[in-house]
Amino acid sequence: MTTKLHLLLRSASFVQQNLCQPASRKCLHRATQMVRLCSTQAGKVHDTAPAVPVAAAESYAPALLRPLTETVAPSAAAVRQVWVENMDSADERKLGLLELHPEVFAAFPKLHLIHDNVRWQRMYRQVDYAATKTRAEVRGGGRKPHPQKGGGRARAGSIRSPLWKGGGVSHGPRGPKTHFYMLSHSARVGGLCATLSVKLAQNDLHVVRDLELPSADPGRLQELVERRYWGPSVLFVDDTDEMPENLVRAADQVPHYSLLPVYGLNVFTMLKHDTLVLTVAAVERVQERLLRALSIHNSMAVKHTDASLLR
Amino acid sequence: MASRAGQEKALRLLRHLPRVALNNIDHPNPKPASRRKRGAHGGDTHGAGDKGSKARQHFARAGFEGGQTPFYIRIPREDPYKGHHLRWEYPPVSLHQLQLMVDTDRVDAGRQIDLTQICNSGLFRLEPLRRQFGFQITDEGMDEFVTPVNLEVQWASERVIAAVERAGGTITTAFYDMASLQAMVDPERFFKRGVPIPRRALPPQDAVGYYTDPSTRGYLADPEQVARHRLTLAQKYGYELPEVKEGPLTERKDPRQIFFGLEPGWLVNLTDKQVWRVKDPVMSEYFRS
Repeated sequence: MTTKLHLLLRSASFVQQNLCQPASRKCLHRATQMVRLCSTQAGKVHDTAPAVPVAAAESYAPALLRPLTETVAPSAAAVRQVWVENMDSADERKLGLLELHPEVFAAFPKLHLIHDNVRWQRMYRQVDYAATKTRAEVRGGGRKPHPQKGGGRARAGSIRSPLWKGGGVSHGPRGPKTHFYMLSHSARVGGLCATLSVKLAQNDLHVVRDLELPSADPGRLQELVERRYWGPSVLFVDDTDEMPENLVRAADQVPHYSLLPVYGLNVFTMLKHDTLVLTVAAVERVQERLLRALSIHNSMAVKHTDASLLR
Repeated sequence: MASRAGQEKALRLLRHLPRVALNNIDHPNPKPASRRKRGAHGGDTHGAGDKGSKARQHFARAGFEGGQTPFYIRIPREDPYKGHHLRWEYPPVSLHQLQLMVDTDRVDAGRQIDLTQICNSGLFRLEPLRRQFGFQITDEGMDEFVTPVNLEVQWASERVIAAVERAGGTITTAFYDMASLQAMVDPERFFKRGVPIPRRALPPQDAVGYYTDPSTRGYLADPEQVARHRLTLAQKYGYELPEVKEGPLTERKDPRQIFFGLEPGWLVNLTDKQVWRVKDPVMSEYFRS
């Protein structure tokens, strides 16, 4: 199945190069998110289009590097739009429309990056506790068990030689071993963008205004999830770790509903749950952080493209 | 990276494929699993062959070729390469590249463009520990160079000087010693060390001639001589020398200074955003000399 997926994507003649940035990414150093919401019954959700505050963005930039001052908005065709839904009743109501940046939510579904991230998340915390003793560590075995010659037996220097029963292990596992390693920053950022894009493309990403539930009844929450055909397992993501009490109480009863703040968003958890439900605030935060992360190496990363232009 | 159309196609394909989950992804180009030398076919000599120094882990020294005269002895020394590992390098920056940097706002033409500004653009890197003592400006693109800039480099040919001055700018060749260079190449890293700004050393004996010569616009040369040479150069190459007004184009560093606005001996504290000056009279005198 997995190879088929790769072949299918490849056969559509996609060219995947390394993560050196093309011209479009150069312009994402300052990114603005367009939030155009049309009010229906519940009224407007946002009055103004929130942009990335320049002050906050400036504070990340190294003081002595001059950041790129131009920005180019993504092409209208690439921008993604999602409905903002309600959580206050099982019936689905569309409260507005949210526009998502294509670099984060419509990136190429780089499965190798997703795999790398999943593997990294599994392996970096893995500790292999297997340990064996060598012939020097096994208790005893200091004395020559019998004389060199004359016994008719094989010569031996120690009863703990690896040839002997109960002897040491020659090339066995040696003590606790960690499999810790750090995946590169660009691979982690790319994995997050790829996973979000995959979720959105497969209709598994939903945006809600907030996570306020009318009651703490887990049954009602399950009814809401089932009626909207959200997958058996749902991951609710908010921008803070203090979630509404009703949701916390309800989700606590259901093992396959998970709550996560934005700072805990990771590829493994997103893939483990079938459906991803984000609040508008969470979407804004994720977008802001990922766009900044994508462009943080711009001045050096663009070197490889700009320098070739210079020649 | 795939084009936008390719990306859209891939994402549209995903709609018809099963949900991407933990149990159906693997790497398209996995590393081959390591095969241990165990068992009936991997055992016995375990890949080491029969006998010999390799099987006994008693390897010969690096470069040994079994008794044949090794490559590193066979090849003779050549005089032109004598001391090559000690020679100083000046990585080139062409006028074309400089013009493009100014036009694309990678470098600020309103201030002096010195080593730090070129490094800060992110397009050029200087490694002082590899005997790179600064940048030299090459004449590629000198015909299209039009921006008046205040340039400070470590080496420039006569034609480059003419091109820069014809455009209405000024050029100076200045020397930075190793300690000053390391501060200039990455100022933020240097300030984080918490070390006072060093006093820039004077050029060594074989470079003094170049940096005191007005014809090469040396920073130690007499300014009046430099002005005279600007005129003669304009006459030689046949262009009209534009007037250079007092301002950003004429600001110069003191021969002992590394950063504008900061004197040697001062200590920059980035965390508390403070600059500390020297109080001790002896130290102050040393740094100011």
